[in-house]
Amino acid sequence: MAATMQLTKVEGRLFVRDPIALFFGLVFPGLLLVLLGAFFPGFTDPSPDLGGASYLEVYAPIALALGLATLGLVTLPPILGGYRQFGILRRLRTTPVHPSRLLSAQLTVHMAVAVVAGAAAVLVAIIGFDVAVPELPVWFLLSFLLAAASVFALGLLVGARARSSVSAQAIGMGIYFPMLFFAGVWVPRTIMSDGLRTVSDLTPLGSAVQAMEDSWFGTTPSLENLVVMAIWALVLGGIAVRMFRWD
Amino acid sequence: MHVIEVQDLVKSYGGVRVVDDLSFSVEEGEIYGIVGPNGAGKTTTVESIVGLRTPDSGHIDVLGLDPMADHYEVAEQVGMQLQESRLQDKIRVGEAIELYSSFYRAPRDWRELLDLLGLSDKVDKPYKDLSGGQKQRLSVAVALIGAPRIAILDELTTGLDPQARRDTWGIVDTIRDDGVTVVLVTHFMEEAERLCDRIMVVDEGRAIAIDTPAGLVERVGGDQTLRFRPSEPIDGIGLEELPEVDTVTLHGGHVVVSGHGNVVHAVTALLAQRRIIAHELRIDQATLEDAYLEITATPPGAAFTTEREAS
Repeated sequence: MAATMQLTKVEGRLFVRDPIALFFGLVFPGLLLVLLGAFFPGFTDPSPDLGGASYLEVYAPIALALGLATLGLVTLPPILGGYRQFGILRRLRTTPVHPSRLLSAQLTVHMAVAVVAGAAAVLVAIIGFDVAVPELPVWFLLSFLLAAASVFALGLLVGARARSSVSAQAIGMGIYFPMLFFAGVWVPRTIMSDGLRTVSDLTPLGSAVQAMEDSWFGTTPSLENLVVMAIWALVLGGIAVRMFRWD
Repeated sequence: MHVIEVQDLVKSYGGVRVVDDLSFSVEEGEIYGIVGPNGAGKTTTVESIVGLRTPDSGHIDVLGLDPMADHYEVAEQVGMQLQESRLQDKIRVGEAIELYSSFYRAPRDWRELLDLLGLSDKVDKPYKDLSGGQKQRLSVAVALIGAPRIAILDELTTGLDPQARRDTWGIVDTIRDDGVTVVLVTHFMEEAERLCDRIMVVDEGRAIAIDTPAGLVERVGGDQTLRFRPSEPIDGIGLEELPEVDTVTLHGGHVVVSGHGNVVHAVTALLAQRRIIAHELRIDQATLEDAYLEITATPPGAAFTTEREAS
């Protein structure tokens, strides 16, 4: 137990010492909303294209999903790949502590950062731009956590196999951009074609954005969205743990 | 008492026997050297001892434990410094050692250990800002933090400058003085000669010789060469007849005598008896490096009897 606590503490400190990870993981989702809301004309006005919602309201869950994707697919895999490449996992294997504890420490740290970053972005939307407080907070929190679990499981799978920091980064990025696309970062889901939206619904972040948007604005998230995320999380997480290269 | 016993260890990768029927044992309290060319199977061998690799066959006993079945107990008692293993760039020296100390049941005091390794003034330094020697010393500290009974140090001084290398040797001596058995994997013969009580020479996965450093040197003849300029001609004084002398040759005004055993004493005693002064006397003795090169140049098993074959 003491070992897990120490590992989490140290990995947390190391995360905080990485300014790039800290910026994109912690600050970026909130900052993105500030920039969009403050500098894009009409971004906070209701738009007929979006069925009366404002772009900011549509983008708030997207910004949350973007933050999760950045943590799970950009930050996490290279850390794990690097730990393998530099023999850190291997060295742990020579101690009485199994390297899986390092994995759980990393996931804990990333989850903590995700929660803080998500809360900051939600507060920015509420306080800065008069967006409603999430109307179904429990569903909203559940959607957010499932979203985090599914995208972290994906990142964990990349980090489970990659032999180096650089290859983990390349693979992570290769997944990151399509995931962002399906999350609606460039084309919001409301204006996607039906076919595209169906594909988006099957991706972890497509479902995540829909479930968070629904619960934020008063609709119970659909079971399909929640199940899609849960399946991604369980299946990929299970494969990742099973296939993890410990050295 | 044996603290490590390896019997008939075999490990293949892709059909190549990296470790080929290797047997040896390490006594408590000694510094045991494992030397051999690159790819001889040294690292595979020591990594098998701590259970990082699964042998294809053979038996390993570490302090009465099985490294595979009792991995966690072996990890408690055996500290390992891995070749080419780093720590996180931004981890600080104090954090790293405190972290690793939390992994063990009864760790050493980490402040004391950093002190011992000359790192106490680096506690707040990030790993990436340490010199090569400091990184290696921290790596040794991490290997020793669990208060192990055995420390395995793999290529401890590779990449270090001569001064840092010598400093690190001093640390290995200190570790042994603390009662820790040391297994040292190296390809620096000077290092093995200076530190080890016994040395195993490994080539192509086999132990081709196990002996003390002096014993290994002697195995290859222990040739010694004396070169000097005599104050008087040496014809007829009977140098050639000395049992220790093999050859006597003349190079201009210099005499070169090569021989074995106590040849230096025999020659100088004879010269003194004849009141001949040996000017510019130079003695060349075979070093462990010479012995190693000769031993590893011989096809395994051809000329040198291993401990295993002898027993």
